[in-house]
Amino acid sequence: MGRQYEIPIGAQHISLLEPLHFKFTTENEKIVATEANVYYVHRGIEQACCSKFKFRQVSFVVGRVCGLCSISHTTAYSQVAEKLLKIEIPLRAKYLRMLVIELDRIHSHLLCLSHVAENSGFEALFMKTMQYREFSMELLEAVCGNRIQYDFSIVGGVARDLKPQVAQSILERLKKFIPQLDELMDIYKNNWTLSLKNKGAGAITKEDAMRLNVVGPFARAAGLAIDVRNETEDLLPWKEVGFEMITETSGDVYARNMVRLRELYVSIRIIENIINGLPESALITETKAFPDGEATVRLEAPRGELFYYAKGNKTQILERLKIKAPTFSNVAAMAEAFTGNEYGSAPAIIASYDPCLSCTAR
Amino acid sequence: MNKVMTSIENLKKDIGDFYKPELHHFMVMNAVEVGDQIEVQWFFSDYAHPCDTTCFYTLVSPETEIPSIKDIVASAWVAEAELVDLMNIKVENTQKGFVLEPDFESGPLRKKK
Repeated sequence: MGRQYEIPIGAQHISLLEPLHFKFTTENEKIVATEANVYYVHRGIEQACCSKFKFRQVSFVVGRVCGLCSISHTTAYSQVAEKLLKIEIPLRAKYLRMLVIELDRIHSHLLCLSHVAENSGFEALFMKTMQYREFSMELLEAVCGNRIQYDFSIVGGVARDLKPQVAQSILERLKKFIPQLDELMDIYKNNWTLSLKNKGAGAITKEDAMRLNVVGPFARAAGLAIDVRNETEDLLPWKEVGFEMITETSGDVYARNMVRLRELYVSIRIIENIINGLPESALITETKAFPDGEATVRLEAPRGELFYYAKGNKTQILERLKIKAPTFSNVAAMAEAFTGNEYGSAPAIIASYDPCLSCTAR
Repeated sequence: MNKVMTSIENLKKDIGDFYKPELHHFMVMNAVEVGDQIEVQWFFSDYAHPCDTTCFYTLVSPETEIPSIKDIVASAWVAEAELVDLMNIKVENTQKGFVLEPDFESGPLRKKK
């Protein structure tokens, strides 16, 4: 046995976007064990949602859980509140929620891909990916009014309608983005230097993904076909708008890149289908009821399964709200997938997990 | 949501009989205060019947130590550590200090009496 060293990464580190701490035990540059800590950003959001805010205000509070996937949080909360209120939202509101969720997925996946490139030492690709991502931020601003933390989903429906000129602009910008996405796909798929860094790095098997209950692109890259969009037709009609499950098999950083890139094509198709078939209806279902009973909702955020549990007591204040973010489900696998890898690959592996500690610690 | 009541004594047997990694996806644990007791919940979904959510639950007093299911569900240690920190419940072989710093006030999600 060689000499072992313990090397910390984080909570503040150049290769981490989020305050996450890993302690690697290494032997001859190979990682043999990993310890993780996630306790840096607990903000007491669940407690605030069950004490300070009325249930209709909570959708605006949970939108602040995460800057990257706030639409997933506001939509999941709105859905769980609608279950407690026993209301069905208008079809147009469902379509508009899906539209913003998919625009959000585009910007989130591109952000993750850019950081994998950066942490793999390919700075030019980082900049190119971020440059191409910009259009999705502009479209989100046009649809929702904000580039991030858009309070679009509200209890009962959505807060804004889609203007025809904005819908037209989305279709035009997506058309321009497709050749850019083809270019990115070619580089991430075929660039020799990048493949040296990413192929085989941080790999997990499908069996490990099942054993460790992994979710999102992390799971799908290992061949585990788990995507909530395939499963929750009762809340949002994903299959109606062209959802397709994307999986790879090698389970490494390269496969995670491929899953995210291929999912971008699916997101584009879903958005085009939504705009071309957007039903006419009201935007919101009004009710004067108060939440009663308990309910759960799952929703596919860009990083995977988002889970909300809510319990109401026929008052304005919820009895309990529980949020389970996708990264939370992946923590166990994240720690295991480092084992056997070179320490030098750790930054790219971390970025490929696309961890979100704002969501996880709440 | 299919809720299945269990007890501290039968918890590991019930979840052990139910959970198959190739069939079921463990989502999370949760705890809700019900009067002076705490309802502890374990949520699972089903890969083959994806809309089915199964929730095992048991009512315990706050002082009761909950058996860990880590040996049945390998990733459950994360959810157990979170509940120890946020709800100040006791889980077998689980220390504080994963979701909150070790010297943080215990159980910030518990209602103030």
